[in-house]
Amino acid sequence: MFNIPSTEVLIQGIMSGFLMGCLYALIAAGLSLIFGLMEIVNFAHGEFLMLGMYTAFWMYTLFAIDPLFSVPICGAVLFLLGWLVHKGIIRRILGAPMLAQIFATFGLGIFLRAAAQFLWTPDFRQVAHPLVQGPIKIFGISVGLPQLVASGASLAAFAFLYWFITKTETGMALEATAQDRQAASLMGINTERMFTLGWGISSACVGVAGAFLASFFYVFPYVGSLFGLIAYVTVALGGFGSIPGSLVAGIIIGLIEVLGGLLIAPAFKYVAVFLVYLIVVLIRPQGLFGKF
Amino acid sequence: MATTGSAEEMKRERERSSRRTIGFVLMGLLIVGVLLFPVFFRLPYHRDIGIKILLYGLLAQAWNILAGYCGQISLGHAVFFGAGAYTSSVLQTAFGVNPWLGLLGGVVVAMVLSLLIGYPCFRLRGHYFAIATIAIGEIINTLAINWEFIGGARGLTLPIHKDSLLAFQFHGSKYAYYYIILGLMALCFYATWRIERSRLGYYLRAIREDSDAAQSVGIPIAKYKLIAMAISAGFVAAGGTFYAQYLLYMDPDSVFPLSLSILICCLAVVGGVGTLWGPLVGAAIMIPLSEFTRIQFGGTGSAVDLLIYGALLTIVAVFQPTGLVGLFRRWGGR
Amino acid sequence: MRMQKKRFGGFLAAVALIGMVLGSTGFAHAQAKEVVIGVLYPMTGPSAQIGIDAINIIKVALDIINNGASIDLPLAKSKGLPRLNGAKIRIVAVDTQGKADVGQAEAERLITQEKVVALFGAYQSAVTTTASQVAERMGIPFVNADSSSPALTERGYKWFFRTSPHDIHFSQVMFDFMKDLEKRQNVQLKSVAILNEDTTFGTDSAKAQEELAKKYGYTVAARVPFRSGTTSLDAEVGRMKSANADVFLPSLYTSDAILLTRTMRNLDYNPKLLIAQDAGYTDPKFVTEMGKEAEGAITRAPFALDLAAKKPLIPAIDAMFKKLSGARDMADVSARAFTAFMTLADAINRAGSTDPAAIQKALRETNTPPEQLVMPWTGVKFDEKGQNIGVRAILQQLQGGDYHTVYPFDLAVKNAIYPTPAWSQRK
Repeated sequence: MFNIPSTEVLIQGIMSGFLMGCLYALIAAGLSLIFGLMEIVNFAHGEFLMLGMYTAFWMYTLFAIDPLFSVPICGAVLFLLGWLVHKGIIRRILGAPMLAQIFATFGLGIFLRAAAQFLWTPDFRQVAHPLVQGPIKIFGISVGLPQLVASGASLAAFAFLYWFITKTETGMALEATAQDRQAASLMGINTERMFTLGWGISSACVGVAGAFLASFFYVFPYVGSLFGLIAYVTVALGGFGSIPGSLVAGIIIGLIEVLGGLLIAPAFKYVAVFLVYLIVVLIRPQGLFGKF
Repeated sequence: MATTGSAEEMKRERERSSRRTIGFVLMGLLIVGVLLFPVFFRLPYHRDIGIKILLYGLLAQAWNILAGYCGQISLGHAVFFGAGAYTSSVLQTAFGVNPWLGLLGGVVVAMVLSLLIGYPCFRLRGHYFAIATIAIGEIINTLAINWEFIGGARGLTLPIHKDSLLAFQFHGSKYAYYYIILGLMALCFYATWRIERSRLGYYLRAIREDSDAAQSVGIPIAKYKLIAMAISAGFVAAGGTFYAQYLLYMDPDSVFPLSLSILICCLAVVGGVGTLWGPLVGAAIMIPLSEFTRIQFGGTGSAVDLLIYGALLTIVAVFQPTGLVGLFRRWGGR
Repeated sequence: MRMQKKRFGGFLAAVALIGMVLGSTGFAHAQAKEVVIGVLYPMTGPSAQIGIDAINIIKVALDIINNGASIDLPLAKSKGLPRLNGAKIRIVAVDTQGKADVGQAEAERLITQEKVVALFGAYQSAVTTTASQVAERMGIPFVNADSSSPALTERGYKWFFRTSPHDIHFSQVMFDFMKDLEKRQNVQLKSVAILNEDTTFGTDSAKAQEELAKKYGYTVAARVPFRSGTTSLDAEVGRMKSANADVFLPSLYTSDAILLTRTMRNLDYNPKLLIAQDAGYTDPKFVTEMGKEAEGAITRAPFALDLAAKKPLIPAIDAMFKKLSGARDMADVSARAFTAFMTLADAINRAGSTDPAAIQKALRETNTPPEQLVMPWTGVKFDEKGQNIGVRAILQQLQGGDYHTVYPFDLAVKNAIYPTPAWSQRK
């Protein structure tokens, strides 16, 4: 039942898992941020990622801008989308029962998926010649350069988020709103603006992740479903509302995915991931670093 | 109230009672329509839609018991559907057990499964619970794909027998299937209605509204959540067996997928979650809509049907969270 | 107020009654001026492009049949079907969404409402299973072009006909090739590693390969199913590296095939031979985007574009297809669909009637010679299980960014490259 790989393959696996995990973390970070702010899970999060990837793809195809340089564009476009979604939809369901909140974004997700297919066909798209591609050797072990760059960017993004939340006034206001909405508003913080900002940042994160993902993963209308599911598990494992939690959880999930596949069987990769989630969450229901 | 308002009061009372009469008449027509549906609609395709409405209405109603009345949002309910379908089918193909007994078997398996899932998971709150149900659903889906005994990815084909109620198979026309699923749906409906009016329903609603308060008042919330879960799972499993006998073929992708779990929730939400009629209304509207758009637009490959579906879902969730039933109630003046 | 409500109610009831009566009788079709065929394919979902390609090539076929064309096919010589007084064929295309229950519902609707005389489709083996079950129950011929699960012709059905090879044919040619290659190049291949995605297609393919491997005397160093549509193939490729087999046998759809190729490069996995089970590897998208990177990859194919030199039919049909497809060449799926559809049309013509039983009989008697096929087969002739026995699978290899036929050696256009160059040795 267990398969023991050679040392090289094992180390290669650990490295790949770590790199992928950083990307999972970035995708999950936004989800966590929104939940911390307003206790809403964005079930269209995967579709936001998909739109980020498509943005990068179209920048490449229409304007010959490599995904690497589309990062700010994707971030901006998705920021705008998040802002719009909050203003148009989320604002109206803040007090609604949880079911309505779930399905408001869920319906949005279905809509976005279908719109993508309608506009751009279900064909799989690929950035044919990205700047970052191919293998790179680290200590003699071969790993993918795109994954390396993506994870580096992800870590940078987390660092930026950390700086933003702890060192800037807006960021601290955001954090304060997340911790105690009423107290924050009593202190004069405009919670509505914080919410909108939160949605913007969350979507921008996922847009950036999408730009990097487009360098090495195929783009099609349903691509968001795969990554979205992992993102929910990542957020739950890290703890809803905890951004550092998403980083740790993302890396754990990335490692489990690869190691589960290497040591047990790739068919059960996600079984391993979900089992870990269940175990952690049953022993420690608020996740690793969650507040509830 | 002042005496000057009494004329208006009487007028309002008359309006209300006339609305109620209309309501009863419509209800009566509906019941007659549902009962006689196969008589008027003879084409297999129309009956298929009717059957689908009832089947998904059953699943949505069953889900409603747990989520709508008890407030526990499961996004992995398809596991019970698949459990029912596979149990009765495997019992049939491997051991020659009659599908009706298999149906009972499926219900039992699903209930046990639901307790195994619920017991640890009900400790989790809100979104944690929902995601746990997704996780479990995916785990079971993957296990089913890799389990050769039940057919694995290739699925299970049921042997074809001659038309008979005993063998739970009909080939010529669909009306027997229609009445069977109508019966199952009616049973679930009745169960929901009884629960709504019983002490169990009262406890479930208390748990939904504020489980901490309920607990402090002495209600054993774990026990009642499990009861709701088991009842819900049982009905879904019955639907699963029906599906298996209807299609005579199943594979993990058709009975365990996340998309089915989500569909069940959607129907209930659009119709009106936590209400008696909501799930059926949701199914009656969404299923034909889905079929219609698929036929009109789907063939050209442009996903227009899903576009409408998604938009509708969001709009209902945002503007009419109590669903269509809530809309009707408003019109009815309650 | 009340009176108005009553009248309105009465009006509604009348409308409803009329609607029900109309609905239950259906509309009368124009007689014998057209022949209606139901076509089932996935138009939405991950395999949607397959459905679109299939429909486009069927439109080409319809054009040839209904309007005539200067192509060397019997049905191109006149407008419409000659033995049905020039009746034209019309298709009703439906979206199965890749789901078995939708396939079943649509099959029923096509038969009972659209009154089709035959069904055609449906790509995914699971969908073909249920849709053809309906056809069998209702006595309507079902012609299948592209579902490769061997089980489909093992059900004892009388109304099901498959023109294309299935997985056992395909896998067999792979092993024949390996044996012949060993002889030709004087090398020894000892082990195989099988990687398959976990739907019916991949599972059946892997099963066939495993059994054949044992029969031909190869060790199965690894048999790894994986979750189709996975986010990364790092673990899977790691397993393959660990197994270190001589020949790598993947069965994947397009998206995974692209991801696999890139991952193999990133993780430096170099099997001596890669022989794929078609699907993703022959998708023109894969060839355009990954052609150079996947150099040396071999795939089984039912169809070879580069046999155009030997078969003038191919460039002629391809030209017509490109007009509809946006400059995509004919490939595996479209070629198979074209062949099967022409077979069906030809059978209807020979039957001289739209009676399903007559069409079934005509299908049984099919005996199409190879010159009328775009396929490299010996013909179309069905055995008693409904399987075409004239099939021939071929192997093609990516060389210089394009597929070239390399096996059987008598049909080969180029020599097979062996071993596949390692990543570090490539440009």
